[in-house]
Amino acid sequence: MATKLSLNLQIWRQAGPDKPGKMVDYKLNDVSPDMSFLEMLDVLNDDLLQKGEEPVEFDNDCREGICGMCSLVINGVAHGPQKGTATCQLHMRKFKDGETVTIEPFRAKAFPVVKDLVVDRGAFDRIIAAGGYISINAGGAPDANAIPIPKEYADEAMDAAACIGCGACVAACPNASASLFVSAKISQLALLPQGQPERYRRATSMVAQMDAEGFGDCSNHAECEAVCPKEISIAHIARMKRDYLRSVFK
Amino acid sequence: MKLNAKVPAGPLPQKWDQHKFDLKLVNPANKRKYEIIVVGTGLAGASAGASLAELGYNVKIFCIQDSPRRAHSIAAQGGINAAKNYPNDGDSVWRLFYDTVKGGDYRSREANVYRLAQVSANIIDQCVAQGVPFAREYGGLLDNRSFGGAQVSRTFYARGQTGQQLLLGAYSSLMRQAAIGKVKQFSRREMLELIVVDGQARGIVVRNLMTGELESHVGHAVVLATGGYGNVYYLSTNAKNSNATAAWRCHKKGAYFANPCFTQIHPTCIPVSGHYQSKLTLMSESLRNDGRVWVPKKKGDTRSPEHIPEDERDYYLERKYPSFGNLVPRDVASRNAKAVCDDGHGVGETRLAVYLDFADAIQRMGEHTIKEKYGNLFDMYERITDDNPYKVPMRIYPAVHYTMGGLWVDYNLMSTIPGLFVLGEANFSDHGANRLGASALMQGLADGYFVIPYTIGDYLAKSSFNGVDASHAEVKEAESQVEANTQKLLSINGKKTVTEFHRELGQIMWDYVGMSRDENGLQHALTEIPQLREEFWQNLLIPKDSKTLNKNLEFAGRVADFLELGELMARDALERKESCGGHFREEHQTPEGEAMRDDENFAFVSAWEYAGLNNAPNMHKESLTFENVKLTQRSYK
Amino acid sequence: MAEEKAKLWSSVGKKALMAVTGLLLVTFVIEHLLGNLLLFTTDPDPFNKYAYTLMSLGKLLIAVELVFLAFFILHMYSGLTVYLSKRKARPDSYRKSGNAGNPSKKTLSSTTMIISGLVLLVFVAIHLKTFKFGPHYTTFVDGVEMRDLYKLVYQTFAQPLYVFWYVLSMVILGLHLRHGVWSAFQSLGLHHHRFTPAIYTFALIFAVVWALGFIAMPIWIFFDPLNVRQDVLNLM
Repeated sequence: MATKLSLNLQIWRQAGPDKPGKMVDYKLNDVSPDMSFLEMLDVLNDDLLQKGEEPVEFDNDCREGICGMCSLVINGVAHGPQKGTATCQLHMRKFKDGETVTIEPFRAKAFPVVKDLVVDRGAFDRIIAAGGYISINAGGAPDANAIPIPKEYADEAMDAAACIGCGACVAACPNASASLFVSAKISQLALLPQGQPERYRRATSMVAQMDAEGFGDCSNHAECEAVCPKEISIAHIARMKRDYLRSVFK
Repeated sequence: MKLNAKVPAGPLPQKWDQHKFDLKLVNPANKRKYEIIVVGTGLAGASAGASLAELGYNVKIFCIQDSPRRAHSIAAQGGINAAKNYPNDGDSVWRLFYDTVKGGDYRSREANVYRLAQVSANIIDQCVAQGVPFAREYGGLLDNRSFGGAQVSRTFYARGQTGQQLLLGAYSSLMRQAAIGKVKQFSRREMLELIVVDGQARGIVVRNLMTGELESHVGHAVVLATGGYGNVYYLSTNAKNSNATAAWRCHKKGAYFANPCFTQIHPTCIPVSGHYQSKLTLMSESLRNDGRVWVPKKKGDTRSPEHIPEDERDYYLERKYPSFGNLVPRDVASRNAKAVCDDGHGVGETRLAVYLDFADAIQRMGEHTIKEKYGNLFDMYERITDDNPYKVPMRIYPAVHYTMGGLWVDYNLMSTIPGLFVLGEANFSDHGANRLGASALMQGLADGYFVIPYTIGDYLAKSSFNGVDASHAEVKEAESQVEANTQKLLSINGKKTVTEFHRELGQIMWDYVGMSRDENGLQHALTEIPQLREEFWQNLLIPKDSKTLNKNLEFAGRVADFLELGELMARDALERKESCGGHFREEHQTPEGEAMRDDENFAFVSAWEYAGLNNAPNMHKESLTFENVKLTQRSYK
Repeated sequence: MAEEKAKLWSSVGKKALMAVTGLLLVTFVIEHLLGNLLLFTTDPDPFNKYAYTLMSLGKLLIAVELVFLAFFILHMYSGLTVYLSKRKARPDSYRKSGNAGNPSKKTLSSTTMIISGLVLLVFVAIHLKTFKFGPHYTTFVDGVEMRDLYKLVYQTFAQPLYVFWYVLSMVILGLHLRHGVWSAFQSLGLHHHRFTPAIYTFALIFAVVWALGFIAMPIWIFFDPLNVRQDVLNLM
């Protein structure tokens, strides 16, 4: 059994959407290295409740790295220090005894803070609504094997489709751009034959919605790829740009 | 009320087709006059919401997460079954039907299961057309694998993320309808009450989780797709927000709850590591295709696995079930893991784990192939446990995963409250006493894409509706009930957090209403749960502000409901004096320790009617008749 | 048409515009360094002849200059809008910032493009004032009267402060090119799993070589190892 950790936590506290926020220090002892990061926060919240203080609100749901609900910027890095890992799957063994750990919400104008570490990522739904689909009604589909799709394309589409919509790409981007999220969907559908009829419309309307939501522009820092829990490549951003630019000539 | 399952007459294969013809239709121009409320955006809810909107109905859809895309269907790993028979290995609609009825240990309704098998093929077509990137072979056609003990390869998959991809497909269709205004989306809303007017389900009361405001929404029908209640055990593979509140409040409003004791314990989960543990993580069942399950032959053997020689290992599944080996159904695999651990052979720090060993598979196929097949699962395992499964065997233990029970529905998926339809895991209908792997995704999408669009029209066409708006007395009544409940929770000035109560309830449920049950234990649970409930209402500690995001308040409401549901589960388990599927009664087993059904006395669905908190609920029976399959003792030897 | 215009100023459009103008400005930078190489000779004539040839293009030169000016302005404008939208997109910045590491391409270069860009703007203005619009010395080469820019260069780079500023600016040019060159390809959607890493490395080499090339010249002239300055300035 590894030894327990003591941590100095600096956590962003904000009472509500338009309230001012600040970093607040907490000390937490006896943290097991086998705990997940969120379990560590659970323990902190239990402590706070017992002391009659307000617990720290943070988003989480599946706690197995797939729903995309958890967020957090840990020590300045979205989803914390471990590659290809969402916050819920990050474990305390990645931290040192006595370490100071800062925890902030995903910061972007398009992701307004709801409370403490909870942000509103509704902008992502609206971007998908703008074109992140194939127009097909239930019941009208041809046989699934009617269109063969080369394995390489299907695999690459799956690489893009793996996006969990967590928004870490936005949080990490120095410009708060949503390009990786948006391009993952555009690229997935652009790689598949089913996606071709709406391919260029899709690129145009999704990018337009992304801009309207107030995300920044992509300056190719690729920080998004580095924090993405699914390690989605910026190659997809390039495909989005290609499709978008081609749409100008269509 | 007498239960009427409304199963159509006629030969099994023609029932659904005939029924579809017999159902009344709503004129296309009239569909837009109907407002349908869908609660939950998992596979069942999202597909229903999208399909109903495509037909022209106005849909309001609610979810508890910040986006419909995050519903817990997203976490399903393994795959989705469909009777496509692409591999030409002998699959058919009939075989999928047969396997599902048998796998459910003959406690499901034949007609529902047959329909499920019938529409399974359409689901795959629909999903591929939506752009779901299923795994493919080099020829460009869809790949299939055998899953969860099936003897044919009928499982379609998208890496280890099948649920995610299917959900994102349904979600994208839903968003497409949202863009044209046919779907109105309400996120971060928790349904807290059903509004029933003139005996019809006409709306819901929800709490806006961000502001704490109560909102009422009325419509012509309510579709509940809120998933299962596995979190009653506190530790389960469910998401933290998964809960039974919506279903339970409907139950209290008159919807019968069917087979509550049928829970599925999944055999391959990462074992518990400490008291702080907040959830359990599933390792896809597909791992059992290549991994071998074993424990040391010697009791209390603390040697590390590599120091235990081959002849001192007990590959107990291969030994006991030579023809199915490691691929026996979930309930059998789970029960055996518990048995060997209870017997002192467990491994790991807590002694509550068995090994799942890939050494042979790696030797046979090479590490590269294994990495290709299971890489993401192995990575996930290593992230959580800090062990490298390429080098040392995985440690696994069963965990609560799925609940076959749920609100009782008829063949049209309508509950005992007219106008309240229940879909997916939230209903009880298709899996009997045990669900086969890769069948949950199939059922959710079948209900949403291909069943509800037909059956809801029939209900709407045949019913007459009085005008109901937000000022209706029943709406106000429902709102004040919710408000009173919230105030009651907030007025407790106790010392114990919601999590502590939940954990204690979970422990009772796991110990006495878990993988194996007996009369004494169930009686014990039936005294302990009400006591805990009493304490809960006296000694709860929560933050007092209801007009803001207050997760403790949300959880308090859910745990309060779990404290009632848990009791019903124990009661149901007590009444069912037989072993079937996931429900194993110690008193009813074969000499070899296998589940022993009692078809004469228990071939029925128990549907419980709520009779008030301090009254025993009434059990109604829907007897199950099997005209097309012969009831046999399941054997996987 | 309106739609096309909107697309041009979308997040993707303006980055494409920035990329295209940036790459065209790079061609200017490439040409400029090659021209500068003539300053390393002890003979002023080749350099002056080269400058004279360019200037004798007359209206064509002015046209080319105007085109490059347009590129410059568009490049600057798109850069500024990207910067401003970034400020708008994250009004409240992180209290602690970090780097996620590989495969991130967030570097000192990538995060300071607006600063390096503005420095280069000032540099270009001073550069034009010093040379293009600076003192007009004349000389005769093969009997033709022409501007003696060689002399002006040698005179200018005798001042330590000016050399320092120039060298600093060229370091910053290198920084700007390091991210700018590879980024332009990505902004135009030109990504390839094999070529992109090569382009990324090439951008680094290019930036270093060109920055060193530009830096070498004033240093060479300042230290003047071959004692050219004496001759050049004495001819006055």
